[in-house]
Amino acid sequence: MLKVENLSVRYGAVAAVRDLSLSVGQGELIALLGPNGAGKSSTINALTGLVTPAAGRIVLDGVDISRSRTEDRIRGGLTSTPEGRHIFANLTVAENLRLGAAIRRDAKGVRQDIDRFLALFPVLSERYSQAAGTLSGGEQQMLAISRSLMSRPKLLLLDEPSLGLAPKIVIQIFDFIGQLKAEGLTLLLVEQNARQALRFADRVYVMSSGTLRFDGPPTGLADEHGLLNLYIGG
Amino acid sequence: MDYVLQQLLNALAFGAEYSLVALGLAVVFSIMGLVNFAHGEIIGVSAYSVFLAAALGLTSPIVAVLLAIAAAALAAVIFERVAFRPVRYAPTTTGLLTAFGVSIVVQNLFMLLISPKPQSVSILNGLNQMWFFGPFAVSSLQVMELVVAGLTILALVLFLNRSTLGLAIRAASRDFATVRLMGIRANRVIATAFAISGALAGIAAVFIIARRGSVSPDLGFSLVLKAFVACVIGGFGSLPGAAAGGMLLGFIEVGLLVALPQEYGGFKDALSYVIIVTLLVYRPEGLLGQRVELGDKEI
Amino acid sequence: MSHSVEKIMSPAAGRVVQPDRLLVRSLVGGLVTSLPVLVLGLLVLNLAPTYYTYLALAAFVNLIVVVGLQVFMGNSNIANLGHSAFVGLGAYGVAVLSTPLAMKKLSIPHAPFGFATLQLDPFSAALVALLAVGIVAAVSGKVISRLSGVAATIVSLALLIIVHSVFLNWTDLFKGNQAFFGIPKVVGLPWMMVLSVVVIVLARLFKDSRWGLQLRASAQSPQAAAALGIDARRLRLMAWILSALICGLAGVLYAYFAGTISPKLFYFQQIFITLAMLILGGMATVTGAVTGVIVLSVGLEFIRSIESGVTIAGIQLPQLLGLSGVALGVVIVLCMAFRPGGISGRYELDEQLSRLLRRSA
Repeated sequence: MLKVENLSVRYGAVAAVRDLSLSVGQGELIALLGPNGAGKSSTINALTGLVTPAAGRIVLDGVDISRSRTEDRIRGGLTSTPEGRHIFANLTVAENLRLGAAIRRDAKGVRQDIDRFLALFPVLSERYSQAAGTLSGGEQQMLAISRSLMSRPKLLLLDEPSLGLAPKIVIQIFDFIGQLKAEGLTLLLVEQNARQALRFADRVYVMSSGTLRFDGPPTGLADEHGLLNLYIGG
Repeated sequence: MDYVLQQLLNALAFGAEYSLVALGLAVVFSIMGLVNFAHGEIIGVSAYSVFLAAALGLTSPIVAVLLAIAAAALAAVIFERVAFRPVRYAPTTTGLLTAFGVSIVVQNLFMLLISPKPQSVSILNGLNQMWFFGPFAVSSLQVMELVVAGLTILALVLFLNRSTLGLAIRAASRDFATVRLMGIRANRVIATAFAISGALAGIAAVFIIARRGSVSPDLGFSLVLKAFVACVIGGFGSLPGAAAGGMLLGFIEVGLLVALPQEYGGFKDALSYVIIVTLLVYRPEGLLGQRVELGDKEI
Repeated sequence: MSHSVEKIMSPAAGRVVQPDRLLVRSLVGGLVTSLPVLVLGLLVLNLAPTYYTYLALAAFVNLIVVVGLQVFMGNSNIANLGHSAFVGLGAYGVAVLSTPLAMKKLSIPHAPFGFATLQLDPFSAALVALLAVGIVAAVSGKVISRLSGVAATIVSLALLIIVHSVFLNWTDLFKGNQAFFGIPKVVGLPWMMVLSVVVIVLARLFKDSRWGLQLRASAQSPQAAAALGIDARRLRLMAWILSALICGLAGVLYAYFAGTISPKLFYFQQIFITLAMLILGGMATVTGAVTGVIVLSVGLEFIRSIESGVTIAGIQLPQLLGLSGVALGVVIVLCMAFRPGGISGRYELDEQLSRLLRRSA
């Protein structure tokens, strides 16, 4: 589904990602772990095209999208729920969901999808016509993921869905992610919260200081000390 | 009584015109942080298009009105494509100075290609008549200005709240990157915002031509300065603020015209600016503006 | 972040140097920067015909205005589109104060507050005029320094319009739309050169001073500067007042060399020209201000000669009014798109020279 080869991202003199290669297969849930500043979000931003990589190739479904614009990548079936949720605070819940489906032309299907997420997250239904900025953090995260799914993506990039949320909410969010995987969606999940990320992951990549340190099944990481070492770069 | 009503209508009509122009500035500023000093020259392009069309034999006022609006919208989109896109992600000051440069270029092109002197345009004079309601005589132009501005603002509100592109414009005013993550094309959102901004300027241009009966290179410049002041007092980037600021400026100006003795009439603009700047001392963020915390605006 | 720090730090400030050595370095730097101005001035003074002397005088006035503009814009990174208000105030200040009484009887016989019967010597008149400029700058600066960048720019424009409108409409004092004539012509090229150098050095000293550095830091990163306890408002106010005084001085000098002034001289035309000069040269440095004035003064004179209708190969071209305006605007737009730092970029002339020397050494 997604193949990344030798990706590098630089900000001026600083290299955020160095020579990163990874792949995500159809229907897989891949976890990309690493400490703060490891280059995970830079990787995601390079995948969505919000930053231009210094080098490397990104191939989605056999199509080289390395030079495509963000908008065209989204239209090609890749979607991202950005770190910090980035819901449109000045728009209502309904308007947020509508914008998520902006690239779709089937009004009926959009309507059905909206109903589906409202049924899934009753709180969004209660706040349907309120400014999304009034939602709690967890509710905003649910809205942000729902909004991403409104475009019916082939591949969803989830950047730190647990960021700043209470443990109970985190479990709820990850249950939902597991359900998405069960429905057949392909996911690339970026997380600092390794324990939750590993619940459903098929394979794991670990980054630190911009480079890949581990690539393999979650069982290889089960030992928390091993993960810690990778985090520290030892 | 007659006098009071007349002055009230004056204030509303002035205010409506300032609001239209100020809204055009605010739409563009809110989504891309561009302080568009060339907005006045969009009005200028619109007015000179009507002048040229009339000189080439156009006689229908309705076509002239449509032409004015279309030319302004087109000019705005072209300005964006040619001059503002290269500085889209640059700091605010860079965009502001670019727009100032565009304004100088276009104003001087009018001088160079047409004439530095005002040119007479009579095609829209028919809009400017006296209407009699029983004992009251009112200017048809002022009534139309008020009604049209009201309808235009209503249409704008509907567009921004109902259409997907309108929602995208509102969302982009806070978080452009995430709008792109929805697959919505940044260029389309910005072009639409400029087209709207231009159309608003074109509507204002129709009334200006009808009232003055002539066009000149600096036609839009001083009006846009007033609209900027209206934006600042309303809260820069806020659309309701721009509309309210425009109205407030209209009322201040007419109030000064009424209050000032004839021989001090020349101080009207200066005094209205002094009043507004004084208001800013007490509300630096404008009347309807929010105090934006540093770092609030996402890139 | 490291990027912006690098921008703020001039090479001189990069190492730890004694404060008095820093001062000397700025002084020398300012003098080096004003060298080209001195050389050009001396050339004109000794070699050029009278017409060019007049042009050079006008260019020197622009130079002082642009350096004044740089003091505020370059350090605060806020666009100021109203500086001609202060140029006008300076010029009209000395006009009202120093014009001989016999002339005043003809021009402003009804001037209020006894100005019709007051005549100061040119030096005192200049001081009083600058005091007036300083007061207006302090009051307007109080408002402007509180506002965000965009709002501050708009208010600077409003100030220009307010002041212009007062010149136009307070006819008893300023003669309105008509030319105000009979101002003593006491300034020639030598004075102009000396004061240009003073102003250039002053602008450089301010830029390199603690206040200038802090102001530039707060323009780069408002949060970081605020966290360091930098009071950006107060610094903006200081820069605004200094900038206004320099512009006011330019006005004083203009009035004293031309002898005749009118309100339209201190309006948008001057704003366009001086702004284009600063942008082309590069507003981050005093060197940029100087460079822009030299390049555009020559360039504009060339364009004006075409504009007024030239004869090329026996064919008389028509007048092309507006050509110089188009050129100015194009200069601004192209600079902003392709070289926002202008010709000089980040470094002052002396810094560029020492870099060159170090590289070749």
